[in-house]
Amino acid sequence: MKRRFPVALAVLAAGLALYPLQATGYGIRVMLQLFMWIALAQSWNLISGLTGYVSFGHVVFFGTGAYASSILIVTLGWAWPLACLGGGVVAAGLAFVIGWPCLRLKGPYFAIATLGLNEVLRVVVSYYEGLTGGGNGLSLPTLYASVEIYYAMGLVAAAVTAVTYVIVTSRFGLRLMTIREDEVAAEAMGIDTLRYKLYAFLLSAAAPGIVGGLSARDQGYIEPLSVFPLIMTITMIVMALFGGKGTIWGPVLGAAVLFAFQEVVWARFIYLHQLLFGAIIVGVVLLMPRGILGVLQQKYNLPRTI
Amino acid sequence: MGVLITPSMIGQVVISGLLAGSLYAMVALGLGLIFGVMRVLNVAHGPLLMMGAYTTFGLFQWIGLNPYLSLLVSMPLLFLVGVALQRFLVRRVVDAPELSSLLLTFGVSIALVNLAQLAFTSDLRSVEYLTGSFVVGPFAISKPRLATCGFAIAITVGAFVFLRSTRLGKAIRAVSQSREVAQVCGIDVQRIHLITFGLGSALAAAGGSLVAVMVAIQPEMGQVYTFKSFLVIVLGGAGNYPGALLGGLLLGLVEQMASLFLTSQVNEAVAYVLLVVVLLVRPTGLLKGRV
Amino acid sequence: MAPILEIRSVVKRFGGVAAVNGVSLALEPGRIYGLIGPNGSGKTTLFNCITGVDQADEGEILFKGRRIDGLKPHQIFHFGMGRTFQVIRVFPELTAVENLLVVTTTGYAEAQRRAQELLALVKLDRLAGEFAGNLSYGQQKLVEFIRVLMTDPEMILLDEPAAGVNRTLLNELLDAVRRLRDQGKTVLLVEHDMKVVMGLCETVFVLDHGEKLAEGAPGVIQADERVIEAYFGR
Repeated sequence: MKRRFPVALAVLAAGLALYPLQATGYGIRVMLQLFMWIALAQSWNLISGLTGYVSFGHVVFFGTGAYASSILIVTLGWAWPLACLGGGVVAAGLAFVIGWPCLRLKGPYFAIATLGLNEVLRVVVSYYEGLTGGGNGLSLPTLYASVEIYYAMGLVAAAVTAVTYVIVTSRFGLRLMTIREDEVAAEAMGIDTLRYKLYAFLLSAAAPGIVGGLSARDQGYIEPLSVFPLIMTITMIVMALFGGKGTIWGPVLGAAVLFAFQEVVWARFIYLHQLLFGAIIVGVVLLMPRGILGVLQQKYNLPRTI
Repeated sequence: MGVLITPSMIGQVVISGLLAGSLYAMVALGLGLIFGVMRVLNVAHGPLLMMGAYTTFGLFQWIGLNPYLSLLVSMPLLFLVGVALQRFLVRRVVDAPELSSLLLTFGVSIALVNLAQLAFTSDLRSVEYLTGSFVVGPFAISKPRLATCGFAIAITVGAFVFLRSTRLGKAIRAVSQSREVAQVCGIDVQRIHLITFGLGSALAAAGGSLVAVMVAIQPEMGQVYTFKSFLVIVLGGAGNYPGALLGGLLLGLVEQMASLFLTSQVNEAVAYVLLVVVLLVRPTGLLKGRV
Repeated sequence: MAPILEIRSVVKRFGGVAAVNGVSLALEPGRIYGLIGPNGSGKTTLFNCITGVDQADEGEILFKGRRIDGLKPHQIFHFGMGRTFQVIRVFPELTAVENLLVVTTTGYAEAQRRAQELLALVKLDRLAGEFAGNLSYGQQKLVEFIRVLMTDPEMILLDEPAAGVNRTLLNELLDAVRRLRDQGKTVLLVEHDMKVVMGLCETVFVLDHGEKLAEGAPGVIQADERVIEAYFGR
């Protein structure tokens, strides 16, 4: 079993790499979005799953990355790959600015603080109209690069998963988890919890920033409502919870399953869809708090680093 | 900027601030009770307020019931909803890590908002009952705001009398201070939890019924109240019920004052900045609270 | 010899009540000290002030000659002071060995080695890969105890080490504490079990209502009328 997994993974990766040669434009777009969701769910997992500090406003980093990279493209003429990385850097910077004061708070208070974040950023975007286009939105120069963006998204999704793997199997990851288990004890045992929380938070903001930029580039147009929607945070959370927060592959699994679900239900029944997401969150918390992967871990006695 | 601030403007701001603040205080008290007794941060508090508003709207629409009389319906109704939520959902996570109850109530809030979307669509509704203002000297006092303030004060005072003087109220305060000790004194803690969640929801519903007369009713209307109620609890100190009153009034004042200097857009960020500042400077609240 | 820990007129208030009201203590290195007192005397609060969990309102606390009041717990830990908790605080979802590994800052290999060493010392080496939450109460207590020893601290504070522990395990713990003292470490324990305190500690401090009531060798304390009064009333 252990030998076969990396092989299966390599085959899958090869398949995904060759996919655009065969697929339609629509097909590429769909997979591109799946990669995006994997990156997002995985990122939320880094802060909320590992340290237990729930972030209810994570979409802020997506939106910030979208605006930052789009502004870099439009006003400074940067090439989109670099601009998207820039978006990630700006998002991480925002995470530092928010995290430095707010991560000192106990878990629930931090969660509340992140709740209002969305509103603030939408206000900021409207305020700096000259730069961001305010409520009218921002248009990017036309570009047909779906295939390139597909690969870029795939890379980011793979990178975040790889980073999660490295963290979960290291002492750094153990320290993050102690924050979730018992923060008082962690502090008493010499762990500078604020510093570790900040690291996790910054890391968790980078990928959303990058994929925000990529998504914006792909759409060609952004406006406040499209890049700071609450449903995006909700979806990230549901995916990570459903698959298994605190694990490596949980968010990937959750993203894959719920993304398929979303494609089928979303377009036609948007409110029912969101209602179901809410119900799934409630169900997971009550019935399988460790997600699907958690259930499998218990049943088949799998190691924690899955 | 560059506006001349006259004393009468300040007076107006103070009046408007206190009127708005009394509503914030009442709604926040509901959230504060739940948090104080069960250490659960009820993210679904706003949606419960929204349900109160829709109840009032429905009754007004179908049988022309006076919105202020509808309080007699919305409060008991949402009390029962709160009890049900506690009994079937929240009870299971009261002793789990706080993260669980946060996520649970978050899920519940999403479900409630979207149920409302399905039932009522996102069309804006309103209850046209009371409009206009009294003019007293240089001040304009909005009639619906005044009525809201009056009822909010009455309900809040009632809540405090209940907490202070009745056995049940004292039991609630006892559990909020120490669950173990209360149990040893023979208090049925489970029952107290049920009642407290119901009460908290009823207070939210009251807020909803009262604002139904003043603002546009739509499924997402409650979100901002969730956040502001949290802010009031933080300002007043967690578990400090009189503190919630002061916190509410303070928030009302600060918001109105900010509106003198800032555009309405930026105003929304005021509450947020206030929260972060208070959390950093005095996390135990302006009065003594238990973090 | 200069005291390793000095507490100078520390005051800590909660609301209007002073839980610790001007306590001064001095601890010499390489000895075992006990801190006793009836319930509500301020023992745990003082403990928390020393270890940085609470901040003293007045007074100073010096460790190895440097002020530690106002520092965060993790900083005090790295200075060389470790503590255990009254209610066991192991990390339940981490394995026993992982509980130990998180504490260290040295290289991974060296940390692993030391963790195995300590686990073997308390005969828990076969349970190294077991989730700490699945261990028995006594085993968890041991894990918490050796966890504190991972970085070889100079001073160890034990919060009610005898609580809920059977005789055999207790004797093991007490022997371990004596060995630590023989290695030159300083131990301060808060404890209710008088037999443990009298049998183990070289000097005992007695607190009552947030103030230091008495200080001295166990035999002296036991005979002190004021101490008896404090515990049993007038």
